[in-house]
Amino acid sequence: MLKIDKLNFSYDDLKVLWDIDLEVHEGEIVSVVGSNGAGKSTTLKNISRLVRPDSGSILFQGEEITKLESHQVVERGIVQVPEGRKIFPEMTVRENLRMGSFIKSAKATRESNMERVFTLFPRLKEREKQLGGTMSGGEQQMLAIGRGLMTNPKLLLLDEPSLGLSPLLVGNIFEIIKEINRQGVTILLVEQNVYQSLRIAHRGYVLETGRVVLSGKGEDLLNDPHVRKAFLGM
Amino acid sequence: MKDTSAKNVHGKAGFKSAEPIVTLLVLAGLALFPTLVSSPYSLHLMILLFLSIIMGQSWNIVGGYAGQYSVGHAAYFGAGAYTTMLLMQQWKIAPWYGVWAGMAVAVVVALVVGSICFRLRGPYFVLASIAVAEILRLSTMNLKDLTNGAEGILATEIPPLTIAGKVITDFSTKVPFYYIGLGLVVLTIVVTFLVQHSKLGYYFQAIREDQDAAHSLGINLTFHKNIALIVSALLTSLAGSFYAIYIGFIDPPTVLGLDISVQIVLICIIGGIGTIYGPVVGSLVLVPLSEALRSNIIAEAIFATGAVSPTSGVGVFLKENLAHAHALIYGVLVVVVILFMPDGVLGFVRKLTTKRKGERS
Repeated sequence: MLKIDKLNFSYDDLKVLWDIDLEVHEGEIVSVVGSNGAGKSTTLKNISRLVRPDSGSILFQGEEITKLESHQVVERGIVQVPEGRKIFPEMTVRENLRMGSFIKSAKATRESNMERVFTLFPRLKEREKQLGGTMSGGEQQMLAIGRGLMTNPKLLLLDEPSLGLSPLLVGNIFEIIKEINRQGVTILLVEQNVYQSLRIAHRGYVLETGRVVLSGKGEDLLNDPHVRKAFLGM
Repeated sequence: MKDTSAKNVHGKAGFKSAEPIVTLLVLAGLALFPTLVSSPYSLHLMILLFLSIIMGQSWNIVGGYAGQYSVGHAAYFGAGAYTTMLLMQQWKIAPWYGVWAGMAVAVVVALVVGSICFRLRGPYFVLASIAVAEILRLSTMNLKDLTNGAEGILATEIPPLTIAGKVITDFSTKVPFYYIGLGLVVLTIVVTFLVQHSKLGYYFQAIREDQDAAHSLGINLTFHKNIALIVSALLTSLAGSFYAIYIGFIDPPTVLGLDISVQIVLICIIGGIGTIYGPVVGSLVLVPLSEALRSNIIAEAIFATGAVSPTSGVGVFLKENLAHAHALIYGVLVVVVILFMPDGVLGFVRKLTTKRKGERS
């Protein structure tokens, strides 16, 4: 579904991604893990075309997307839920969700998507008329994911969805991600929470200083001595 | 936690069932006003008020809804004023054709500004917008052959509006200007209402609240910022043309100066940014205030209360200096509003009168 080939990227003079190869098959959850500054979020930004790569190709369903504009990428079905729950603080929950459904491909299914989001996150239904900015961190993260789902994504890019959440909510968010995937959305997940994200992932990639150092099945990576030592403290 | 209901553009707070009736009554009152009051000064004040509302409403679309704080709106105001005036004086083209040309010029300026400045965010966009307006002002100053430079342009004669040979109105009194101004006020409010209640309004608000989030949802940021700017420029240009024909004289500092740009922004900041009635409230505060300060009414009112004798030292000081202090008092007002009423006067009043709208956790 998504195939990244020899992706290189630098912020001005600082090179942050070195020959990244990464593949996501339809129906999978793929986790990209690594420490701060490993290039995880930058990889996502390259896919959603918020930045332009130096070289390399990104194919989505056979189409080269490095030449597209970011809004065209969204129309193709790749939607990023940005890091740090970037919701619209002065719109209500319902209005925030509606914002996700204005693109052509999502308009017709607005109401059914809204129902789907409310079924996944009953809390959002309760807070439907509340202003986004007045909700708790966990609720805002739910809203950000829900808003992403309103665009009918084929591939959902999640950037640190567990960042800053309480341990109880962290488990909750990962369960919901699994559920979204079961409903047929392919997921590319970027996380610092290595254990949880590899646990739910079909496959995973480990990034270190801008390079892919390991890849494989989620559970294999969890048992990998290097991963256990570097990330899990075992 | 601050009350955010006033700035919640799509909140239903502003539209209660009584509102259409009140609006109609106000409109009817305004339509009858010239038949009841014939004093030219009253009409003049009302026209100034209309002009201020039109300008504020126009800026509000790009500044209030889309959150792009342009401090260079004099560029569009001046584009309208100069185009209409030049066509009328040099080529004898009647202003009701000239305004369209003025709007076209404003759109061209907006496209140039937009394509360059919308690559920048935050303070850089503000600075770039000022720079463009200043470039226009200086060019107008120096292109003497075309624009008459610093001497400005005086309207010697405004042709009467005729349809099929019949004179509809001549412009010898203030009354036609009054109705044109009122019409433009209604037009800008209707445009703002339509924008606010359309997909565009949601897009603008999304861009204002979080550009990155808007980007991630597939909103074409540059395109929609440009749309906001163009709509805003069109309406501002209308205001400029209206001003030029009404006053009958323009020169670079009065229609292209930085104070015009700042004044436009102040109308919205003081009234309430990103709301339909904000510019109206802002104009109702600013226009009478600046007139009062300019005309020494305040000093006379103080003498009338008997608190200060006009012949005393303080009285003489007030009489001599208060009229010149309008810029200072303006400035103090802005500081007070920004510090104590961050949502403008309108937001402040709403906060006092309405209970909190949003349910809280």
